Parts: sequence; structure tokens; C-alpha cells
Amino acid sequence: MPRALTIEDDTVTAGEIVAELTRRGLAVDWTANGRDGYERARDGDYDVITLDRMLPELDGLSVVTRLREGGVQTPVLMISALSDVDERVRGLRAGGDDYLTKPFSPDEMAARVEVLLRRHGGGPRETALRVADLELDLIARVARRGGVELELLPTEFRLLEFLVRQSGQILTRTMIFEAVWGYHFDPGTNVIEVHIGRLRRKIDTPGSIALIRTVRGSGYLLEAH
Amino acid sequence: MKPIDLWRSGTSRLLLVYGGLFALWCIALIGVIQWDTQRYLSNVVDLKIDHISEYFQKIDRARLPEALAVTESLDLRDVISHGLFDAQGKLLLGNLAQIPAGLPLDGKVHPLEHGVQRVEGHHPVRARGIAVHLPSGELLVFVRDTSVIDTVRAIIDRAMLWSLPLVVIPGLLGALLLSRRPLRRLREMETAVQPIMRGDLRRRLPLSPRRDELDLLAGIVNSMLDEIERLMGEVKGVCDNIAHDLRTPLTRLRAQLHGLQRETAPDDPRAALIEATIADADALLDRFRALLRISELEDLHRRAGFDDFDLAATLRHVVEIYTPLAEDKRITFALEATEPLPPLRGDPHLVFEAVSNLVDNAIKFTPPQGRVRLRTSLEREGPRIDVIDNGPGIRACDRAAVVQRFYRGASAQSEAGQGLGLAIVTAIAKLHSFRLEIAECDGGGAKVSLLCWAAEPAAAQSLPAGMG
Repeated sequence: MPRALTIEDDTVTAGEIVAELTRRGLAVDWTANGRDGYERARDGDYDVITLDRMLPELDGLSVVTRLREGGVQTPVLMISALSDVDERVRGLRAGGDDYLTKPFSPDEMAARVEVLLRRHGGGPRETALRVADLELDLIARVARRGGVELELLPTEFRLLEFLVRQSGQILTRTMIFEAVWGYHFDPGTNVIEVHIGRLRRKIDTPGSIALIRTVRGSGYLLEAH
Repeated sequence: MKPIDLWRSGTSRLLLVYGGLFALWCIALIGVIQWDTQRYLSNVVDLKIDHISEYFQKIDRARLPEALAVTESLDLRDVISHGLFDAQGKLLLGNLAQIPAGLPLDGKVHPLEHGVQRVEGHHPVRARGIAVHLPSGELLVFVRDTSVIDTVRAIIDRAMLWSLPLVVIPGLLGALLLSRRPLRRLREMETAVQPIMRGDLRRRLPLSPRRDELDLLAGIVNSMLDEIERLMGEVKGVCDNIAHDLRTPLTRLRAQLHGLQRETAPDDPRAALIEATIADADALLDRFRALLRISELEDLHRRAGFDDFDLAATLRHVVEIYTPLAEDKRITFALEATEPLPPLRGDPHLVFEAVSNLVDNAIKFTPPQGRVRLRTSLEREGPRIDVIDNGPGIRACDRAAVVQRFYRGASAQSEAGQGLGLAIVTAIAKLHSFRLEIAECDGGGAKVSLLCWAAEPAAAQSLPAGMG
């Protein structure tokens, strides 16, 4: 069972994080104090950390900076009420792996934690990805379903690659937008939906088993059944 | 500073009025002096003629020719004319040819404007004369020319003609010089006011150490700006707090609804209701997010994050992302770039967000099978981005309002939208000192343009004064 450490001084938010991550099968420890959080993160063997930006005693930025300086590579999801782009950049530069703005939906938070868990667990860089009968050749940038080559635009390939890499996980539209296009704002429902729709029409041809699923109210998911 | 502007200044006007009054006063003063001098000199002449005539009246008739000859010989400057006439007006003695016309024969001094007729010819100089009856019945006339008085009058007139330019020219020069400094101060204030008018309420008018009336005025304006800034801050703070405070419980509400949705079977009749409720919560959250985003953008006074970036590449991204959306609505959407664009200084993410919002709006409001064009051009001042659609357009009366928070034009009522897209674009444009222009294109649709000039060109690394 993966272990998560939640460093969060607001008890309501902490309760939500702990409940959601526990529900998704993680063992979650919680501390409200920055210094205590830093020591636990340094000494404990955690797979992922959610870290509030503003904490008593030692703030979130200092915690992650110290962890990275001390050689601790546990993936960190920074959570902050500060949504400024600069804050985001600062958080990521200090060593955070992802950044989430409060208030957040538990789904989004959990999805991001799961992506971090997955990314961290990934071994050397793959040259090919495979889910069910869908194959992605990352060198030639070619995708095949059941051996038949799919005609994908570069953007569609990038989108598919992201979905396949995170297969089995729910991805919110903000996460997709960030990962595939690199912009950090919510583009609204339609845009991502349309892109997913097009990709779906190319991947999930009539007669084949649908790989891409829409999770109502949350996001999208690619998984083998 | 143009000279014409100098003459328009208050100081110049004051000096001109003062100079004019001073000139009038000079004229009046000299006029009085002139009048008094003339009067005095006339009196002197009159007295003299009077004395002469009185003297000759008392002289014995027999000695009169001799006395007149002596007087004539003593009149070296030849200013006195005289004549002795018999009762018929015939000249008996003297150098006057006839009794001067218009001279009353009443023994009093009278002016002779046209001079006198002398024996040797007409003497056209103004004069004053007297005619007295002698006991013998003859008429004795003395005329003294008053050219001296006229000469004095001419001297005073000339003095006045000279003194007028001497008063007026230094006055004008003084006005020019004196009004330069206040005008320069006003220009400085005008420059300082520009950013304030564009919405940068942190700026203040410059004050000089002289504490003059301009400083007094600037001080008053600055206190007003302090107050406006404070009030704006309060209003914005209240808005932000409401948006922020409501967002957290809304997020929780949505999470709980989502939890409920997970536990409800898809075929349960309540599932649709839950989904609709979630959609409403999402719409509310989107609106709050956009509001806070605008507020956040308005707070971003810094330009430290600005960099030179490839505008064309950013626009290609927009096209790549929005083309499928347009195609789904069977709208033709294309990037029209007439010429290569130079690097633009700014935040590429924010410019992307701004253009995305414009394109998103255009696609949203254009009917199916319509056309949306993202056009770029390079104008003399910098790149220009036009988003042109053939939808219903934005009415001229709505154009100022659509850039404000929470406004949606009449045609927007039927479309989903938060009415905040253009407000976000405005905030981003403001941050970059770009201009947002809303117009109508020839076909009747909307043409929304982002004029990227005020952004410093890539070569200029320096920030404008006070920025940064």
C-alpha cells in the first residue's frame, strides 16, 4: 500500500485530503506543522507528500527546498491558496513536482497524487507504451490499435501519450491541458472535451472495446477493461 | 513646447492683460502731460501777446511806427507778425497782409489754426493772435506763431510712440519666459497623469519643493487619488473576499455532490438531478475562478516575468487547440498571418490566455457554418491581432461594458458563458499596456483586436520609468 504524508495546517482541508487518499487506497499520515512535516518526510519512507504552501514554523517552500537539498526525492504536490503564476513557478522551482490551487476538488487532488506516484515509480524511459491492444511507439511517434496504424495529428499523439502513461487514472481537464499544451489555466469544458472526442473517434473505432472513458464530473480515463 | 502653447498659458494671458493695461495707462499719463503742457505753453504765449498789445495800446500814435519797427527788429526768430489796419481794414504798417480771417476783433487772444497771410506770402504755421482797436479807430493786430507748442507736442507724441514698444516688447518677452516654467510643470503633470488615467492608481502627481499654487493643486489631486485608491482597494477586497469565501464551501458542496453521484446508480432517476446540480455548481465555480483570476491579474503590477517570446508560435497553439472546437460547430477557423512577427515582450501564457478567450468567444457567438479568423499583421508600432467573426457582433453601445466584469451583451443571453472572458482579456491587455479594440467588421460580425504596441520591443530591455 503506497504511503502518503499530508502536511496541512487547516484541519478541514487536511480531513478532505486524508479521506480522499484513504478512499483511493493510500495509507495517509497527517501533520499540521511544517517543521514536524519536514522531519517526518526526511525520516519516513513515503511514496508521495502533499504539502501546504503556508504552514506554521516552517513554510512549504522551505520544507521542499530542504528535502531536495537533503537528497529526499519523494514526489511533492504543493497545495496553496496563492494561485499567482509566479507562486506556481516558485513552488516548482523549489522542488515541488506539481502545484494545486485551493480550493480544489478532492478528485483533482487525488488524480494529481496518483500521477505523481506513477511517475515516481516509472523506471528508465520507455520507448514504447501499451494498453490492451493499443501500442504507442514513442520513437517513431506512431500509434497502433490491434496492429492497425492510427492516423494521429502530433497534438493527438501527445494527448494519447499522456492518457496512456497515466492509464487507469482519472485525469482532469486542467491536468490534461497542463500536460499536453503546457498552459496553466482552465480552458473551460468544451475545448478538452472536443479534443478527447476526436481522439476517441480515432482510437475507439466501432467494434473495438472503448478505451477512453469520460468520468462524469471528474475528467477522463484511459484503461483496459 | 510650441510657442503657440506658451501664449495660451494663464501666466501669459495675465501678463498680456497687465501689459495692455500698463500701455493704456502710459497713454493716459502722457495724454495728461501733453494736455497740461499745451495748456501751459498756450497761456505763456497768450500772456506774451497780451503784454505786447497792452504795451502798444499805451504808446503814443505818432511813435507807433517806430516802436513796431523796433519790435520787429528784436524778433530775431520771426515769430511775431503784426499789422496796423485802418478802419476799412487796409494795411498801414507791418508785415501782415490782411486782418487774419476768423480772428474776432474783440481784444482777446484767439487761436489761428490755419496760419496768417503775410506780406511776403502765406505763413501756414498755427498761431495765436489778438486784434485791438486803437483810440484812433485803427486796428492793431499781433499774431504769434505757436510752432514751439507744436514742436513740444511732437516731442511728447514721439516719446509716447517709443515708450509703447518699450513697454509691450519686454512685456511679451517676460510673458514668454515666465509662463515656460508653469507650463513645463503642467506637462510633467500631464505625463504623470497618463498612467493614472489608464488605471494605475498607485501613481501620484509630482510635487516641487517650491510649494507654489501648482503644488497645492497637485497635493489636493494626490490626496484625492489616495482616497480613490483606498476605496477601490476596499471594493476590490470585498469582491475578492466574497469570491474567495464562497469558493471554498462551493468546492466542498461540489465534492459532496460528486460523492453522492458516485453512490447513485446511473439508471436512478435522481442521477440526472445530481448531474444538473453538479453542472450548476461547476458554472458557479467557473465564475468565481474567473473573478479571482481578473483580480489576480489586476494585482500583477510587476513585469519581472516578462520575456521576449514568439507570438506566432503562441497563436499557432491557439489555432491548434481551438480548431477542433470550431470544426465541431462547422465553423471555418484559420490563422491569417500576412507577415512574420518580431518577438513580443510579455508573458506568453497570459497572451495565450487572452487570445484563447477571444477565439473562444468568437466561436461561441458565431452561428454554425460561420467563419472565425485569427489575423495578425505588423503595424508600424507593433503586432496587431484581430479576431474576426461573422456572428451577431457587439453593439456599439455595449462595447465599453463588455470589458467589465459580469456583463453580457443582449446576443450573449442564449449562449453559455460567464461574461468574464473579455474582462480577463482586458486585465491581461492592461498588464501588458496593450490595447483592446472592439469594432464591427464589414460583414457585421465582431472584430476584437489586441494592439500590442506599448510592449517594449525586444531590443529595449529597459523598463519604463516607475514600472517594474
